[in-house]
Amino acid sequence: MANNHLTGIGSESKQLATWYLTVAAILFGAQLLFGLVAAIQYVMPGFLFEILDFSIARMLHINALVVWMVFAMFGSVYWLLPDETGIETIGIKVGKLLFWVFTAAIVVVVLVFLFVQVGPADETTIWFITEGREYIEAPRWADIGIVVVVLGFVFNLYATGMKGNRSGIVTVIMADMLAFAGIYLAGMFFTDNITVDQYWWWWVIHLWVEATWEVYVGALAAYGLITMIGAHRKVVEMWLWIEVAMLFGSGILGMGHHYFWIGTPEYWWEIGALFSALEPLPLVAMFIHVLYDWGKTQGAQEALGKKTSVINNKPAFTWFVLNAFGNFLGAGVWGFFHTMPQVNLYTHGTQFTSAHGHLAFFGAYATILIGMMYLAVQGTNGIKVLRSTKTSIWAVSMIAGGVLGMTVALTLAGYVQVLVSRAQMGATWAGYFDGQSGMWFSQAMDWRLLMGFVTFLGFLLLAKDLLTTGKNPVHER
Amino acid sequence: MVEMVDMSVISPGIALNDFLPIFVSSALVIVFGGFYVGIYTAVKVGMFKKWAMPLAYVFWLLTAYCLYIMGSLMHVGDFTAKALGMAMIGYLLLPHAVYYMQHQVHEENDH
Amino acid sequence: MTNKSVWSDSRFWQRSASWVTGFAAILLIWLTFDTSAQISMGTDSDLQNGVTKRVPGPTVINYKITYEMSTKRGHEVPVIGEKEKFFGRDDYSEEEAGELLHLGKLGSQAKNCMDCHTLLGNGGYYAPDLTKAWLDPAWGPEGSLQAMTGKNTKEEAMAEFLQHPSQYPTHARMMPNLGITAKEAKGLVAFLKHLSSIDTNGFPRNFGKIQGAIHGK
Repeated sequence: MANNHLTGIGSESKQLATWYLTVAAILFGAQLLFGLVAAIQYVMPGFLFEILDFSIARMLHINALVVWMVFAMFGSVYWLLPDETGIETIGIKVGKLLFWVFTAAIVVVVLVFLFVQVGPADETTIWFITEGREYIEAPRWADIGIVVVVLGFVFNLYATGMKGNRSGIVTVIMADMLAFAGIYLAGMFFTDNITVDQYWWWWVIHLWVEATWEVYVGALAAYGLITMIGAHRKVVEMWLWIEVAMLFGSGILGMGHHYFWIGTPEYWWEIGALFSALEPLPLVAMFIHVLYDWGKTQGAQEALGKKTSVINNKPAFTWFVLNAFGNFLGAGVWGFFHTMPQVNLYTHGTQFTSAHGHLAFFGAYATILIGMMYLAVQGTNGIKVLRSTKTSIWAVSMIAGGVLGMTVALTLAGYVQVLVSRAQMGATWAGYFDGQSGMWFSQAMDWRLLMGFVTFLGFLLLAKDLLTTGKNPVHER
Repeated sequence: MVEMVDMSVISPGIALNDFLPIFVSSALVIVFGGFYVGIYTAVKVGMFKKWAMPLAYVFWLLTAYCLYIMGSLMHVGDFTAKALGMAMIGYLLLPHAVYYMQHQVHEENDH
Repeated sequence: MTNKSVWSDSRFWQRSASWVTGFAAILLIWLTFDTSAQISMGTDSDLQNGVTKRVPGPTVINYKITYEMSTKRGHEVPVIGEKEKFFGRDDYSEEEAGELLHLGKLGSQAKNCMDCHTLLGNGGYYAPDLTKAWLDPAWGPEGSLQAMTGKNTKEEAMAEFLQHPSQYPTHARMMPNLGITAKEAKGLVAFLKHLSSIDTNGFPRNFGKIQGAIHGK
C-alpha cells in the first residue's frame, strides 16, 4: 500500500526537502553542542568564562533549536507536497534560491553571535548584532530576511496547493503556515515598556509552540499515519480538523498562562488557568488517535490472514509514536503541573520551566521531525519497507533516555529552587544563590550534564544511521 | 475607623510541605487521565480484552481524585474549582465521543 | 452510500475548526485592546497626582519604591512613596528620565541580559531574577553587595558592579564583563528601578522576607 509515496527520485521538491532536512540535522547537532557547553558551565562555572559565556552558549542553544525545527518543518512540507497534491511544487527554483539565502543568513547570524556577542546600547546592536529577546535574538536585518524567505515558502505552498489536489492535510498546513509567518511580525519592534515588549513577545513564542507548531505536528502525524501504516485518509483528515479545533481552541487563549506576572491585568489568571487546563486534551486526543489507527489497520490486516506488520518504515514510526507519547508527557504532564497561577507564582522562572522546555520541545517537535528525516531516507533510496537497525534503535533509546534523564534532573533542581529560593526567600539575590548551592541542586546539575552527553552520543548514532541506513541491504526494496 | 485587616482576602501562600503533593498529584492527573483514555481506546479497538474496561473508569476516578487534591492544596478560587470540575466531566465523555465519531467514519467508508 | 451523520462529516469539522479558531482569535484581540490600555506607560503627572498605573512613567526614578502586602489585592504590590535621590537628583524631567530608561532598555537587550537572568521571570535561569532587583536587601544600605563595591548608594553600587562585574564575584558563577560603559550602567540601573515599580500581581511572592516566609521553618 501507499507505495506511490515512496519514491523521492525525480521530484525537485523532494530534493529540496532533503537539503532542508540535512541542514536541520546539522543545526540539531550544534544545538546539542552548545547545550553541553551551558550544562558544563552549571557544573564548572569557570569553563570558557569571558570567551563563550553562558549567555552566548544558551542563546546559540535555543536559537539553533528554533532554526533547525523551522528548517525541518519547511523540509517536511516540501517532502509531502508532491504526494499530497499530486503535482511538482510550483516555484521550486525560487524555493531553492531562498534555501541558500536562508542558510547563508543563518551562518552569518551564528558567526556574529559567536564572535561579536554583544554591542553598545543603541539601535545598531538591535539591527546588526542581537535583539536580546530570548528565542528571537536574531538581529533586525535577519528578521526581515526571514520574513522574505518565509513569504517565498508560503507562496510556493499556496500556489501548489491551489493548482494541485488540495487535500485536507495541505489545507491545514496552508492555513497554519500563514499564521506561523504572520505571527513572527509581532516580535519585530522595540519598545521601552518591558511589559508591552513581553506581551507581544509571547505572541510569537506561545502562538508558535503552543498553537501553530502543534497544529503543524497534527498535520505531519496525519501524513505519517497515511504513508506509513496506510491509515484511512477520511478518518485521519476528519480527525485532523477536530485536532485543529481543540488545539487552537485551547492554545490561543492558553496564552493567558504567560500573562500572570508580566504586568498584565489579573483577569489573565482565570483565562490562563481555564485554557491551560484544556491544553492537555488535544495532546491526549492525538495520542489516542495514533493508537486507534494503528490498532485498526493492524487488525484489518490480520483479519485478512496476514501476520506481517502494517508499518513500512519502522524507525520513522518509532519516532512518530514517541512524538504522540512525548507531546503528551512533555507538553501535557510537565506543562500542567506548573500551569495553575497558584503554583506558577513559585515555579515561574525556575528550572521547572527548563525541564518542561526540554521535554516538550523534544517530545512534541524533535521526535516527529526526526521521523520525517527517516521518511526522506526511505523515499530517496526507493525502499519499500525500511527496517530498524541496531544503530537506529540505540540512537532513539539514547536520545529519548537522555532527554528524559535531563528532564528529571532539572525537575529535581526546580523543586529545590521552589522550596528554597522562592517559597522561603522570595527570589532575592541571596535566596537565588542559596537555592543554587544546595547539594540536591548541584547533584541534579551533574546528572543533567551526564544525560546531556548520553543525548549527544545518541545524536551521533542517529547521524550515522541517517547517512548509512539507505544503503543497508536489510531493507525490502 | 480602625482598619480591620481581613486575612481571608490575602491569597493564602502554599505551605512548604504542600509543594511535593501538589506536583505529584498534578502530574498524576495527566498520567492517570492518559491511562483512562488509553485503556478505553485499546479495549474498543480490540487490543485489550473487554474485562479491562472497568479499569479505565477506575483511572478516571483516580484522575478526578488527584485533581481534587491538587485544587484544594493550591487553594484555588470558586471559579477555578468549577472550571476544573467541568473539565473532569468533559474528560469522562471525551473518549466516548471520539470513539463514536471515528467508528462512524470507518463504518461509512469501509462498506 | 449510507446516510452520513454530521459527526462524521469532514466539512462539519472543518467549519467547526474555523469557527473555534476565529472565535478564540477575536477574543484574544479584544482582550489585547483591554490589556494594552492597562499596560501603557504612565506619565509624570500620573505620578504627581497619585494615579496608580500598572507600568508607571519613567520619572518613577525620582521616587522611593517599596513592595508591600496589599490587603485589598491579597498579594504584594509596588508602592511609590516620597521623593528619593537617584544619582544625586530627584528632579529628572519626563524627557531625561525617558532617555535613561530608553538607554537602559536598549542596553538590557544589547547585552543579552535575558540569556542568564530572568526579567519578570522570563529568560535564563543561570543568574538571579531581576524583576525586583532594585528592592533587593543585598543592594540596600546594610547589604553585602553595596558594601562590596564601596559605594554609598544603591544606584552607584549597582552601576559600579555592572561596569566591572568580574571584580566583584558573589558566587563561583560570575557575571562576565560585557563592556558596559558608565553611561550605559546608569541607564541600566534606571531600567531596573523602573522595572521594580511594575505591578506584577504579586510576583515574586515573599520577596526579601528571608526569615519571615509565611510558612517558613
